[in-house]
Amino acid sequence: MSSLAELQARALKEIREAADLEGLKRVEQVYLGKKGELRQQLGQLSSLPKEERPAFGKAVNDCKLAISEALEERERELQAAELTARLSGEGFDPTEPGQPFETGTLHPISQITEELVDVFQGLGFSWLDGPEVEFEYYNFDALGIPGDHPARESHDTFWLKDGNVLRTHTSPVQIRAMERFGAPLSVIVPGRCFRNETVDASHEHTFYQMEGLMVGRDISVSHLVYTMKTCLREILKRDIEIRLRPGYFPFVEPGFELDVNCPFCGGIGSPDCKNCKVCKQSGWIEMLPCGMVHPDVLRSGGLDPEEWTGFAFGLGLQRLVMVRYGVNDIRDFTGGDLRFLRQFTRV
Amino acid sequence: MLISLNWLQRYVDLSGLSPEKIADDLTLTTAETEGIHPFGEALAQILVAKVIDCGPHPEADKLSVTKVDAGTGELLQIVCGAPNVAKGQTVPVILPGRRLPDGTKIKKGKLRGQVSHGMICSERELGLSDEHKGILVLDTDLAPGSPLTEAIPVRDVLIEIDNKSINHRPDLWGHYGFARELSAIYGRPLADPLLGRSLDLPQEGETLALSIDVPSEACPRYIGAIAHKIRIQSAPDWMRYLLIAVGQRPINNIVDLTNFLMLDLGQPMHAFDLHAIRGQRISVRFAKEGETMKTLDGEERVLEPSDLLICDAEGPVALAGIMGGENSMVSGDTQSLFLESANFHPATVRRSSARLGLRTDSSARFEKSLDPSLAEEAAKKFLSLLPEVSPGAILAGPLQDPSAWTYEPKRVHLRTERASRILGIQLEESKVRSILEPLGFELTKEDEKSFIVGIPSWRATKDIGIEEDLIEEIGRSYRYDNIPEKAPLRRVQAPYRDPELWTLRKIRHILAEDCAMNEVYNYSFLGDELCERLGLTDLPYAEVTNAIASHYTRLRRDLLPGLFGSMALNLGPQDQVALFECGKGYRPDQAGETRVDPETGQTRSLPQEVHQVVGLIASRKDKGAYSLLRGRLEHLLTRLGRPQFSSKLLQEAPPWMHPGRSASLHPPGDPDAPAFGSIGELHPRILQNLDLDLGEDQAAAFCLDLRSLLAVPEQPLSYRPVPKYPEQPVDLAFLAPEGLQVATLTKLLKEANPKLVQGVRLFEVYRGKGLPEGKKSLNFTVTLCSPKRTLEAKDEERYINRVRDLARELGAELRG
Ligand SMILES: [Zn+2]
Repeated sequence: MSSLAELQARALKEIREAADLEGLKRVEQVYLGKKGELRQQLGQLSSLPKEERPAFGKAVNDCKLAISEALEERERELQAAELTARLSGEGFDPTEPGQPFETGTLHPISQITEELVDVFQGLGFSWLDGPEVEFEYYNFDALGIPGDHPARESHDTFWLKDGNVLRTHTSPVQIRAMERFGAPLSVIVPGRCFRNETVDASHEHTFYQMEGLMVGRDISVSHLVYTMKTCLREILKRDIEIRLRPGYFPFVEPGFELDVNCPFCGGIGSPDCKNCKVCKQSGWIEMLPCGMVHPDVLRSGGLDPEEWTGFAFGLGLQRLVMVRYGVNDIRDFTGGDLRFLRQFTRV
Repeated sequence: MLISLNWLQRYVDLSGLSPEKIADDLTLTTAETEGIHPFGEALAQILVAKVIDCGPHPEADKLSVTKVDAGTGELLQIVCGAPNVAKGQTVPVILPGRRLPDGTKIKKGKLRGQVSHGMICSERELGLSDEHKGILVLDTDLAPGSPLTEAIPVRDVLIEIDNKSINHRPDLWGHYGFARELSAIYGRPLADPLLGRSLDLPQEGETLALSIDVPSEACPRYIGAIAHKIRIQSAPDWMRYLLIAVGQRPINNIVDLTNFLMLDLGQPMHAFDLHAIRGQRISVRFAKEGETMKTLDGEERVLEPSDLLICDAEGPVALAGIMGGENSMVSGDTQSLFLESANFHPATVRRSSARLGLRTDSSARFEKSLDPSLAEEAAKKFLSLLPEVSPGAILAGPLQDPSAWTYEPKRVHLRTERASRILGIQLEESKVRSILEPLGFELTKEDEKSFIVGIPSWRATKDIGIEEDLIEEIGRSYRYDNIPEKAPLRRVQAPYRDPELWTLRKIRHILAEDCAMNEVYNYSFLGDELCERLGLTDLPYAEVTNAIASHYTRLRRDLLPGLFGSMALNLGPQDQVALFECGKGYRPDQAGETRVDPETGQTRSLPQEVHQVVGLIASRKDKGAYSLLRGRLEHLLTRLGRPQFSSKLLQEAPPWMHPGRSASLHPPGDPDAPAFGSIGELHPRILQNLDLDLGEDQAAAFCLDLRSLLAVPEQPLSYRPVPKYPEQPVDLAFLAPEGLQVATLTKLLKEANPKLVQGVRLFEVYRGKGLPEGKKSLNFTVTLCSPKRTLEAKDEERYINRVRDLARELGAELRG
């Protein structure tokens, strides 16, 4: 019996001293395993007198129970210690960056185009396209800019050998859309345009514009104001003020310039406006030309101006990107220098 | 253009209005203002002073030494070089430390040993005229020390107008037009342009033989008049000060008077020296071929028959509406003059001035379609001011006006309801009237709902012609910023979705986001250098006749050449690039849209515009560009719902593609149908011509034709239930002859047991070391699975044996 007590004491001591779960497993093997000490003790049972056997059997069982309990308890202790150790966070640097992987980018003009398309799609406008090489008729005549009109000169047109032009604006698609879809009509036409200008940091012979056109039974200036305000609020991601002032474009009547309160200083009345170089202290920046579609343009599109009225606008896309991100050289948009393009990581 | 508030003030009372308010109101109703510039601040720095004493300089004959009271409490010694300085004069003095209007800082100095505490100024030094013979002597009782601006009322505020914003408004090229606008804006009365001056025109007297020998369209009006006893001198102070303020340098009374009227009423005029007019006649005619004339800037001009001329009996004396001739200009000796106040055809003036590179204030105004009535008004104003400007001048004869031009007011129908409908506001008739009448429109009621509006002559030349023009007048005066915003009410309708545009948008995202490629934009022009380097000069191009740079005349047929430019640009700083571009190529040799001009009956056609998606991968370090790119292209096609396609060796490869290592892409199962795209390695010669040191399989490109791609039917996405029994992957390696295509083996692997084979994937192709000549190693993973049971080893064995037999028939050996 004394050896059983001694065995239990020894086992409990070793259990207490087990440093980790693996050590504990070994201790368990030594005492409770198939060839463990307790089994060996039980092996002596047959050599004992019959009357002693039940008592001995019980003693061995008690011993086993005690060791098992101790093992479980120690296991819980060790598991808890291990978890605590794992949670210590040693060697963790919260500023260490992750593994980079190859990514691509969309051209910033594609990005702004998509944003605009999404906003206008939400307002029920269709996204259209038109030919980049255009008939003189659609680019000029149908828009009320006949051969000797002074506005033609400001358009610095690229003429092709076949007598066609590289479109100088997206406005020809106004006529094409009316011819194709009739009225009512709400379309936007983002696209590439061309003007024969000398290229420098703020001028390009290739530029991107978005035309907008809404024609309906009673479309008025107040609808234009609402639509422009809604769209610009989405694009500029702020609550905005706009103002319309007279502006002249042959294919609208009345025509307007639309100004937005300056995004850099906040506009008139803000403390920064007095020093603002962007709006030159006026509080406004010129955003886009727009107006009510000229009756002759509606007629060119096959619509009766007595029945239908509409508004149109044109938005310069490079300028929008330049204003938003402070890009200061318009030439960066073309040619594909990845050092420029890879900075536009939004999609 | 600068407009002076002092000038405007002559015609409309602007008291109580700040320059900022006036500028804002003009911007919102009339024309864009670009700034407000105070004028004459510098002259406030200069003081009125009294010359108390004046004596000769002891060391210099031409200098005087003066003692001057400038109100500073002590007498200042100032050395003066002007011959006209004298004791008792009142003069302008600038003290040391202050600046002249031109910015020159005056310092205390010594002249030949005599200290000078400042300077007595001439008109030129004050920026008032070119007069520099002597100092300016003031006629004033002001106390010494008063600012000069109290003696000379030159202080002004100028508002800068953006000329672009008044190009369509011929009436706004003079101050009077702006005064009219402000009178309407503020509801204040407008003075008449002659400011109540009377004019006694002789009914008869001296005239020239005046004839307009061109159609009336070219010269709608030509008015002339003769005046004698002219004395060339300075113009009156008030006139010079106004001219100076708006940046017009005073020259002499007659030139200043014509300039004044141009800036006042907007009518350019020309004064000839009468004695230089030969043969007592003036005619308006077009130039003859090869004719020349010397303009008053001293340039000899070679003329063309489209140039309009003013001629005397012997030849040209002025380029009509642009510039006078040197032979007939007013000079210091002029005693008699012939005044011209005329109207010329805008496009004629514009074309001549553009061709001759001679844009003047005069031509700029005639280009805008000036009102012919203005010529008469300006002539009358000139003649009414002449006696004041040149005292003693005599009008020798009547106004000659041979064109007999009269203005019959243009009439436009205006409906109040139409104006309300377009502007989006509810207008009352009285409001319409109260807006239009102050601007000079004459309203007559036509019926219950509409007016007949008489257009004033100054708005009738090109500005106002239809009802919408009047609605614009109403809107701008009502103020667009008073129009409330309103959401359009429309029938709910799904917007039309253009398949090409929306597919393109999807493609962009797949290539950028999934395939890690960078989108670039290149010009639609194909530069000559790139074109030559790539050997593409013989193709048919749409060409620009007036290219911005001579090397940009061709329009691209394909996008890839441009993308090669981007590749070359980026392969310096980067080791590897993956680029794509979406855009249009222009094919003049392929029929595009055609249009018959209804007037001429002429047919024109546009070049076909092809929508392409192109991409490339190039690496300076690694091979495998083709496979990397092809993987991306396959992914793109899968995403677009066209995972299945067939491909074969590219026939008639474009010059930039490797003729032996490129594939064309066709609809599935139909490699003979037209291709929708191609992919391949780049031609080694192209790489060499681009100075790119790239070897085999280091650069590959693809090109998709969007329209052809969309013509390939989308393949339905077929769903397969998740297998109930485990899938068994089997790796198979073949030693195959080079001619055996992957597609053939793939087909074989599927057909060896169509029921069990769930997928076939090529995971490695190996060539080279350890393999016999002409052989390649192709390694596949085939996934076997049965829908009915778990597969056993013998199923796999049976499959492999079947594959081995089939492969052997194709000359391929299954290894291992
Ligand atoms: Zn600002």
